[in-house]
Amino acid sequence: MNQAVSTSISQPTPAQRAALARRRTLWRAIEGYLYLAPTLIGLAVFVFWPIVESFKLSLNRIAPFGNQQIFVGLGNYTRLLTSSDYWNSVRVTLLFVLGTVPTGIILSVLLAILLAYPLGKMASVHRTLIFVPVVISSAVAGVLFRWLYHPVVGYINYWLVSLGLFDSMGDAPNWLASTQWALFAVIVATTWRQLGFNVIIALAGVQNIDSSFYDAAKVDGANAWQRIRHVTLPLLSPTLFFLFIINVIYSFQAFGEIHILTAGGPGQATTTMVYSIFYDAFVGTPQRGIASAQAYMLALMVVFMSFVQFAGINRRVHYQ
Amino acid sequence: MSRTFKLLTLLMVLAMVLAACPASAPAAPAAEAPAAADATAAPEPEAPAASEDVITLEFWHAMSGNLNELVDELTARFNESQDGIVVNATFQGSYDDNYNALLASFETGGEPNIIQNFDIASQTMFDTGRLLPAYEMGDLEGFDFDIFVPAVRDFYSDENGMVAMAFNSSTPILYYNVDMFAAAGVEMPEGSMNFTEFRALCDEIMAADVAPYCFTFGQVGWYFEQILANSGGLYFNENNGRTGRATEAVFNSEKGVEVFTFLTDLIKDGYAPNLSSTWTETDSTFQTQQAAFMIDSTSDVSIIQNSEFAVKTAFIPHADSSDRNGVVIGGAALWLIDSGDAAINQASWDFMKFMAQPEQQITWHTGSGYFPVRTDLADNPELQAFWAENPNFVTAIEQLGTTKTMLDDGNVNYAVLGGRAGPFPAIRQIVVQAYSRVLDDGLSAQEALDEAVEKANEELSNYNSFFQ
Repeated sequence: MNQAVSTSISQPTPAQRAALARRRTLWRAIEGYLYLAPTLIGLAVFVFWPIVESFKLSLNRIAPFGNQQIFVGLGNYTRLLTSSDYWNSVRVTLLFVLGTVPTGIILSVLLAILLAYPLGKMASVHRTLIFVPVVISSAVAGVLFRWLYHPVVGYINYWLVSLGLFDSMGDAPNWLASTQWALFAVIVATTWRQLGFNVIIALAGVQNIDSSFYDAAKVDGANAWQRIRHVTLPLLSPTLFFLFIINVIYSFQAFGEIHILTAGGPGQATTTMVYSIFYDAFVGTPQRGIASAQAYMLALMVVFMSFVQFAGINRRVHYQ
Repeated sequence: MSRTFKLLTLLMVLAMVLAACPASAPAAPAAEAPAAADATAAPEPEAPAASEDVITLEFWHAMSGNLNELVDELTARFNESQDGIVVNATFQGSYDDNYNALLASFETGGEPNIIQNFDIASQTMFDTGRLLPAYEMGDLEGFDFDIFVPAVRDFYSDENGMVAMAFNSSTPILYYNVDMFAAAGVEMPEGSMNFTEFRALCDEIMAADVAPYCFTFGQVGWYFEQILANSGGLYFNENNGRTGRATEAVFNSEKGVEVFTFLTDLIKDGYAPNLSSTWTETDSTFQTQQAAFMIDSTSDVSIIQNSEFAVKTAFIPHADSSDRNGVVIGGAALWLIDSGDAAINQASWDFMKFMAQPEQQITWHTGSGYFPVRTDLADNPELQAFWAENPNFVTAIEQLGTTKTMLDDGNVNYAVLGGRAGPFPAIRQIVVQAYSRVLDDGLSAQEALDEAVEKANEELSNYNSFFQ
């Protein structure tokens, strides 16, 4: 003990200095993990552990109150792959994604370009108006749209009849109760609510483009459309790519509007993969095993899509 | 810039995919959340050291809006009536939500002491093995279950007696717009119409052009079940699952097809709007005077009769091929979850008895429309005066009171006892989808019901495989 104190007071030898340095690096590494610990522990408890647990669930048939599990291996997965209801939910999901993502992005870019040229003091008013739907919860938006879509007393059909497009409310489309229109109606409601978020991101992208590019284009004699086509869009491509990925994932997971508007119906016309998971896990008689299997299929699909997106589209993205 | 941006995007994707998993993927953990929260929020029975004798009970229910307030009022009344027990009433969402929260809590702990569970969950409640049947508690102290209306008592009984405590019982009834009927020059017939009379009435209303639609109903499973029972049709084999575990659904019988054809034709022929599966859009259609009458639960009488026009109530219809049989008990009952502690179970039982007492049942009935579950209230002066002023509340009581519980040959009429099967909640949803198969996909009623029965049988065999 004494010796240790005396040596530490005296000049450190090179070996001691190296040990000290090692300790310091070690401590720095530990320190880093300590800072991360709150997040890692949170993720482990609320994300990683459930991921493992739900995989175990997906290999079993589970009694509704969980006191009995029958191991079926991949039985739940083969049951899914041979079920027409499951493939219907895949089809509905893809249609839903195709319906919401391109329209949402095109609309948001158009709006962002318009909003980027501020009309005096109205600019912030316009931006607020467009952003408001994002703040509304999907449940509230769903209830609002239910009223708008109501076949007997709803505003949309009332307006369509007033405009003379239909003779009576009965002739106008039954938006939520017919398999023909239900998915479209849900897509419109979802796109509307998601639009504000997309516009904010797109607007940030548009405003980030240095005005010198436009000046240069103008000097070269480019008109407004050419400036958008050859300056704005290429320089906006990282933002578009980001929006695309975020929107695809969001659409794959859309739930609130569907639950409130149609509850997956009529029939199974709006039962997406996520809704089908919810339905099997929480509606009627719970079947946690098959629901977990569906969740895994969905996760695989989203991961796969993301890889395709990175591999396929990333090359066309122009980073400044 | 480029690399940072790619990296950020990739991180974002990973975060979202991972975040997606707990939200949607592992069903059970998500369900644990509310239950677990309740468990921690609930003060432990021994927590208040000063009054160690106080027992705290958790009571989960599915009554929203004005009914929620009523439940809170009754619970507060119980808490004030004695010192030893405090009941926390918690609204858990719809019947389905409440039921699923309970099933999830069995896996994770934190289950309530008393739960209000709906009619069709009965078989599952037995099968959990976590239930303390009401008759076990009642027999200890000689509780008389004959105070309950026979239909209610039988509905919640097995061969040993009542398993749950009757609380909120309802049936569907017809609500009609008196002003509109007068304008059309028609009268609602006494008693129950058959399908032909029903359509004839609608023809007159449509011809008088008093409203765009004659009738309105939501495509929920309950009305099909009730009108089928009213027509004497069975839902499951084994006498509706009453004399053995149901293994097959039988609602695609001739009777079932007749009922389903009637219901879907009302929409196909333009008598009723296609509102899909809903409990609320029918009310808005009726209350904005777009339809002359509708079918809805009696539990909404107190709200619906406050419409801007005069409203009266009537019995639900039955098939041409049969006489009127009557209705099945709907609504819910109170179930005692075994806590393993005799004192706590006794406290729960005390609360359940309290909720079925005359004073509470009167408050409950007059505030909602759920009918009183006790026979001794029939000649209660307070209620007599109330009924004289509010005849709409009487229809459901009479509809049930005149239900044919015995067949002419002296056998039990299992049709009006209602179906009992483990996966009934799921099967009800399957029937909802059958509507769309007819209305959108052009199947016949027979084809749609055959398909529904096939899916229902799959649910039954899946469920039953756990109990062999």
